[in-house]
Amino acid sequence: MKWLNKRIFVIGLGLLVLSLLMGISVDSQAAPKSDWAKPNAVMDVNDIPDMSDFDPNHPAVLQGDTIKIAVVAPFSGPASISGQIDYISIQWAAHVINKKGGLFVDGKKKMVEIIKADNQSSPDGTKKVCERMVLREKVHVLMGTQGSHLMKIINQTAEKYNVIAANFGANSDELQDATNFNRNAFQMTQSVSQLGRGLAYYYGKIRKKEKKFYIICQDYSFGRGLAAAFKQGLKEYYPEAEIVGEDYHRLFLTDFAPFLIKIKASGAEVIYTGDWVPDANNLLKQARQQGITLPFANIYMDEPVGLNEVGVEGTEGLVNITQYGAENPAFKTKTDIKNNKLWNDMWKNKWKAPYNSALYEWPLGTIGSVIEQTYWLLSVIERAKSIDPEKIIKVWEGDVFKFGNGKTVKMRACDHKVIQDFHVYESVRPDKQKICMNIPPYYWSKERSASGPVHKIPAEVVLPWMDPKLDRCKGKNCWGE
Amino acid sequence: MNMINKKANIVLWLVLIVFLAFFPKLFGIYYTNMVVTFAIFSVFATSLNMLMGYTGLLSFGHAMFFGFGGYGTALALKHIEGIGIFPAIGFGMLAAVALALVLTPIMVRVTGTAFAMLNMAFGQLMYVLALKLYTITGGEDGIANFPIPGIFTESLRNSPEHFYYLAMMILGLCMWLMWFFTKTPFGQIQVGIRDNAKRIDYMGHKVSQSKAVIYILSAAFAGVAGSFYGLFHNMISADGSLGMGMSFTPIIMIMIGGIGSFLGPMTGVAIFQLVDELILRYTESTELVMGVILILVVMFLPMGFMGLFSMLKFKWKARSTGNAKMEKAS
Amino acid sequence: MDPTTVMYVSQGLQGLAYGMILFLIASGLNIIFGMMGILNMAHAAFFMLGAYICYQIVAMTGNFWLGFLFAPIVTAALGVLVQQLFLRKAHLLGNFGELILTMGIASVIVAAIKKFWGTQNLPLSMPDSLNGMVSVVGISYPAYRLFVIGLALVVLVLMMLLLYRTRLGKIVRAAVSDREMVNALGININLVFMFVFGGGIWLAGLAGVAIAPILTVFPGLADQVGMDAFIVVVTGGFGSLVGAFIVSIIFGLLSSYGVQFLSNFAPVLMVCFMAIVLVIRPNGLFGVKE
Repeated sequence: MKWLNKRIFVIGLGLLVLSLLMGISVDSQAAPKSDWAKPNAVMDVNDIPDMSDFDPNHPAVLQGDTIKIAVVAPFSGPASISGQIDYISIQWAAHVINKKGGLFVDGKKKMVEIIKADNQSSPDGTKKVCERMVLREKVHVLMGTQGSHLMKIINQTAEKYNVIAANFGANSDELQDATNFNRNAFQMTQSVSQLGRGLAYYYGKIRKKEKKFYIICQDYSFGRGLAAAFKQGLKEYYPEAEIVGEDYHRLFLTDFAPFLIKIKASGAEVIYTGDWVPDANNLLKQARQQGITLPFANIYMDEPVGLNEVGVEGTEGLVNITQYGAENPAFKTKTDIKNNKLWNDMWKNKWKAPYNSALYEWPLGTIGSVIEQTYWLLSVIERAKSIDPEKIIKVWEGDVFKFGNGKTVKMRACDHKVIQDFHVYESVRPDKQKICMNIPPYYWSKERSASGPVHKIPAEVVLPWMDPKLDRCKGKNCWGE
Repeated sequence: MNMINKKANIVLWLVLIVFLAFFPKLFGIYYTNMVVTFAIFSVFATSLNMLMGYTGLLSFGHAMFFGFGGYGTALALKHIEGIGIFPAIGFGMLAAVALALVLTPIMVRVTGTAFAMLNMAFGQLMYVLALKLYTITGGEDGIANFPIPGIFTESLRNSPEHFYYLAMMILGLCMWLMWFFTKTPFGQIQVGIRDNAKRIDYMGHKVSQSKAVIYILSAAFAGVAGSFYGLFHNMISADGSLGMGMSFTPIIMIMIGGIGSFLGPMTGVAIFQLVDELILRYTESTELVMGVILILVVMFLPMGFMGLFSMLKFKWKARSTGNAKMEKAS
Repeated sequence: MDPTTVMYVSQGLQGLAYGMILFLIASGLNIIFGMMGILNMAHAAFFMLGAYICYQIVAMTGNFWLGFLFAPIVTAALGVLVQQLFLRKAHLLGNFGELILTMGIASVIVAAIKKFWGTQNLPLSMPDSLNGMVSVVGISYPAYRLFVIGLALVVLVLMMLLLYRTRLGKIVRAAVSDREMVNALGININLVFMFVFGGGIWLAGLAGVAIAPILTVFPGLADQVGMDAFIVVVTGGFGSLVGAFIVSIIFGLLSSYGVQFLSNFAPVLMVCFMAIVLVIRPNGLFGVKE
């Protein structure tokens, strides 16, 4: 009888442990699914061909049957710098694939052709150029752009004429909600909700130091969404935090002083902002001019010229969240170093304006992000073996892909949003940047503080918002299953 | 001579109508959409010309009526279940007219620069309000993807051709109404006000009342144009429809086409679109080309392209008849 | 002082500074329209040009004050060139023509700036001598902003003196009200207007140089400040320098205290104020009826 009791005891204990484990994993929101990151395909960094003929100002002219991809972005007007950044990134990725021989689709090896489509930063311009691309140039994919209201038009056009829309630049959570979702549109880039919650998680679970936050964002849906996400994140991950002030300012604001005076008087320890250039630069610059030395928790305060102007002291302690990040050091393998130096050398010696400014020194940050997203798109096309939208949709939904820098992304099948880890970088003085910038001269720049230590924000704590009203997603958990 | 002219006119019109009717089949969706855009902006520019060219009142805020039209229709379609397309367009027009009614008492008292600036002030106010009241208007992102009920079909979103016919009919009707208006005695009064308001006053016509009527009419037509703009893109946003750019666009088109002539604004729109199509293919400096064109037009073609056209017509006539008739440029 | 009082007083000081910034930007526009009747849509473009030229001078010589001195002059020279080549001929066309012409010129200037300097942000910092805080009524305040306030006041006083106390000013004012008579008296009308236009553009360039260190030098600079200048001039009254000054201060204070108490509704305040003023006095607060 004794050994039977022992067995029962062991089995009972096992069942108990098992049920406890199951009990923990039932909460699917927070469950770290350790197996979500198993990639279906990988960007093979060892296989980057000789790119020394790459010149963004003079792209190679392609003949014959090609895979046509339009880059819908501002190429004229005050925002033309965005279009330039997007173009060089996408063209680089396409050139890499082309030098490797192109992609085998619909029975033939085809090159990837990138076509510039100027949207003039307006809804009118976007609609016109998208239709021209689809109807006259017969493109197969429309890639776009910053500005969610413009991306909506691109998505609509893609659905109307049955091509694929790939979003690398617009972050509104609305884009894939019940009103706006369509099967042809894929959001390869982050959503607003993830950014705010990610920073809150960092402050609450990783850094655990400052408690008083002042929120200042641009007064439109993006800024408001970021602020709301941050507040929600603080509730979730940092309930002891206190929001000592919340302000929204108009875009392209000339004078931040009234806001800065309020911030000074509020006792804040950290300023949270989602501003992008030029507001981000002006906010930082004027804050330092007013004698405010508080750190900024930011998303787009990473424009090198503006940061250099403020200087090492003024930029120390900035905290930035990005979707294009990885554990330190920045250059992990010899191949990494080789690939990045490839770019850097050409930037130094070959490229002419506008691609020879400080913005393009390394293919990291936004540039790196867009390059990798393009690789993802091309990999999906390759595996679909076709540019037929149905086949692409089939491959892309649920797809898991690994970037060249080691990051993994997953396309949530039900609403076409991306599940990914985020990374938070802290800015430190040049002599401390070696832990990130591990090749000579061991700092990013002598003129500003930059990364710096990095912290990972795991995907499960920043799953993108899913619209409960979207039919396809009803009854599914946050992973889309 | 007159009978032959009249017959020729009718034949020309018939040919034009047939051509427009078969246009989508002949030229495809892309060019069809270009024509729709042309129609929308023609009505918008001509509506402003009622104020500028005919009554002599320059407004820097006409976009507010355009935008109100667009928002009126979009909001109606978004919030009122099962509303038809015609009532929705009507809503847009009513919204623009309502705004004009509110502003008319202020506007009729001023003229010249003050009129232009007052309209600019209120135009800006509407723009800022549209941004701030984002729970209603959607702010920067605007209102998008609202349903567009068709007349014979379920939704006009899926048939650009049907939308084209609807647009051409209604916008064509607007153009005809505005043209007809200039031929009425009331229309002549407008020209009178432009040239010499005091004299009109002495003649017994109430200047303010006339100005009020024309202001409201001009707003109504701009509203219809804006309504179609929103339907066409299936989106209406503050920047896209209420910004300063949208107030300046029709002014430029009128100047390029020829102020004071009825076909002037339309010509300006057509040239604008043509240039836009061409320059996008060859250069990224669209602003440079536009700027140069504006400078050239002002320096060398002050009466716009219609002015050039009538000058050529005059020269041709003079040469062919051999007489030098002194025609008063209207 | 306790922190709350500090905050309110700071907002007041700050409002004044911002008002002065607005005045600097608007003064040139005001003079050109008031004196010449030209609605210069290219004003913001010249403002931007001033900032870029200052950047260039600083980049080449490392000295901000050289830029401060010469950039406005170079900008004014370019402005005069534009006026002689284009605006003079369009004057016959009347208001509409000049308006469209200056819009075209604005586009060309911005496009040229982008071609020459590129689309990225350019660094322009204030001189070290002004970089820092000073104590004003016991509150710590950025030195550079005090400098801007001072500059605006100097500009106002200079302009008033020039227009009302010098012979040149008398000629200019006479030319504005009756150009035929002045012409008949043998004074070169053309030269007078060239001088006025050049002066207005010089002010635009000066504003660009003075304000660029607070902002970012980038291709959207013209769009950023253009509307503000317009609103100030329209509300203050065309041709009235004092009007522009007072309205600038009002707007500055509205903006500061608006943000303090109403946060994101502050921009609505400004436009509402403009609309109300124009309804009561269609020619602006201090405007003269045409």
